[in-house]
Amino acid sequence: MNQKNIAGKRKSKSDKCAYAMIFPAYFTFTVFILIPIFVVFYYSITNFNMYSKPELAGLKNYINLFGDGDFIISIKNTLFYTILTLFPQLALGLLVAIMLYRKSRLLPLFRTAFYIPNVMSMVCISMVWLWIYDPTFGVLNLILKFFGCAAEQWLQDTKMAMPCIILMSIWKSCGYSMVIFLSGLTSIPDSLYEAASLDGAGPIKKFYYITWPMLRPTTFFLLVTGIVNSFSVFEQVNIMTGGGPLKTTTTIVHQIYRRGFLEFKMGYASAMSVMLLAFSILVTAFVFKYGSQGQDVDVS
Amino acid sequence: MKKKKWEHSIWIVGMTVASLIMMIPIIMMFSTSFKTMEEIKSPVFHLLPEHFSLVNYQNAMSNGNWLIYFRNSICITGTAVVFSLLFNSIAGYAFARLKFRGSRIMFILLMVGLMMPPQVTMLPTFLILAKFPLMGGNNLLGAGGTGLVNTCAGLVIPLISGSYGVFMCKQFYENFPRSLDEAAEIDGAGKWRTYFMIYLPNSKAILATLGLLKAVAVWNDYMWPLVMTNSESMKTVQLALTMFKTESGVQWNQMMAAAVLAALPMFVLFLCAQKYFIQGIVTSGLK
Repeated sequence: MNQKNIAGKRKSKSDKCAYAMIFPAYFTFTVFILIPIFVVFYYSITNFNMYSKPELAGLKNYINLFGDGDFIISIKNTLFYTILTLFPQLALGLLVAIMLYRKSRLLPLFRTAFYIPNVMSMVCISMVWLWIYDPTFGVLNLILKFFGCAAEQWLQDTKMAMPCIILMSIWKSCGYSMVIFLSGLTSIPDSLYEAASLDGAGPIKKFYYITWPMLRPTTFFLLVTGIVNSFSVFEQVNIMTGGGPLKTTTTIVHQIYRRGFLEFKMGYASAMSVMLLAFSILVTAFVFKYGSQGQDVDVS
Repeated sequence: MKKKKWEHSIWIVGMTVASLIMMIPIIMMFSTSFKTMEEIKSPVFHLLPEHFSLVNYQNAMSNGNWLIYFRNSICITGTAVVFSLLFNSIAGYAFARLKFRGSRIMFILLMVGLMMPPQVTMLPTFLILAKFPLMGGNNLLGAGGTGLVNTCAGLVIPLISGSYGVFMCKQFYENFPRSLDEAAEIDGAGKWRTYFMIYLPNSKAILATLGLLKAVAVWNDYMWPLVMTNSESMKTVQLALTMFKTESGVQWNQMMAAAVLAALPMFVLFLCAQKYFIQGIVTSGLK
């Protein structure tokens, strides 16, 4: 088999038509993802504003970024959102997946109930929750009043706005984690649990010694994709609060949108995009380094 | 044995309650869409409306030109799904089965798209489309006009490529038995024929999964149309939905009626493709 790696031989075996096959997908990828990465780096060191020709400005944009109060707040908000959305959502998804991992005719019904928020658009969901959180007619305040509690301002309250958005986002995405965890659970061989039962292990021990280690690749996958998704939170913020009240819900992508597409400071917004990319790579690399340890659990 | 049965009933009751709690916002979306404003404003909360009426749907649809919004959304979603499925699966096949120079490095490069928030490249992608040569009044150098801004093509083209789709298809095709290729080769079929006659017909599960994911993503997308369009005639359903959010006097019942109509196509699609979808996720090794 190793002989195939010799350059000459590989060349003769090479399938030329492969290039034609990957061309459409690779061309769009190159033009709309790969090249833009370089372009965004270039724009981030210019003062480009849509109307005049870009002029090199050195690191001025980056220096301004760290003096920009709104941007610093948006980083804090984004991190707050990521941590408080991702972990509860994963925990809830895992819990439901374990509850649903059994044979029953009702299973598709329950699975659908948990997954259905995930096929609705963020706009739709934001509209529904805007009504739920509405201070005067909203259901949440009606329920609070019913139990004799004082009504809250929810999205208009500087302390409550972000937690409200977080709660909604957990509700929307926990079904996704559930489905992925469920597919991870099905790949764990039953023989492991049978052997553990013979050894007298209870459900908690089984979870700790079998389920959790075997699900490690699944958790890892969800963690990495979840971080990338949470870092780019924008839609619910723009629709529900517009970054307010008093900038307590503004996020990095919301700032990029405001600066780039409303104020047309393309150079400055590009510098923010580069920072977003840097954060994502940093955190993903961190998860790769510490999250993949002990991934090869030897069970065979 | 008796204990098992008892346990199962508790499980059913518990999961039903949990599912209902999960569904409360959706149930309320549906019920509010049939209510009158008086009923919504009344301090007594009823889960179900007292008088069913479809008048909210009529009023919501007469607020703006919804025929155009739906046409735009269907058009964009349909084109993006068809082309992305074809392009991604054929690229996935090439990466999984064919040997060619640079395939490894090209695949790793493609995976960059998985690790990066798509909003990072949104700005340059917008500018590239705005300066697309020979389109929308642009000259050969891409100056003068508006390029592909405010066009269907501009909305669709960047959505066609997908690192995720290529990756999933590659994983899926790698699990195909090699003997299939050998049999095809003995019969004298070329690579194109092998793909179209053997691989494509056997990838229903993965195509249904990816198609559903793509359709949901494109139909539900809000940010890209928001950035890419500014005219009434190019509005998508999601953009139009945000029109109902006004500073004061929101017509909640109309808003919910429009939300139901915007969500319904994806509900139906999901319920139809559910079987393939779950199967696809499990078999494609997405875990």
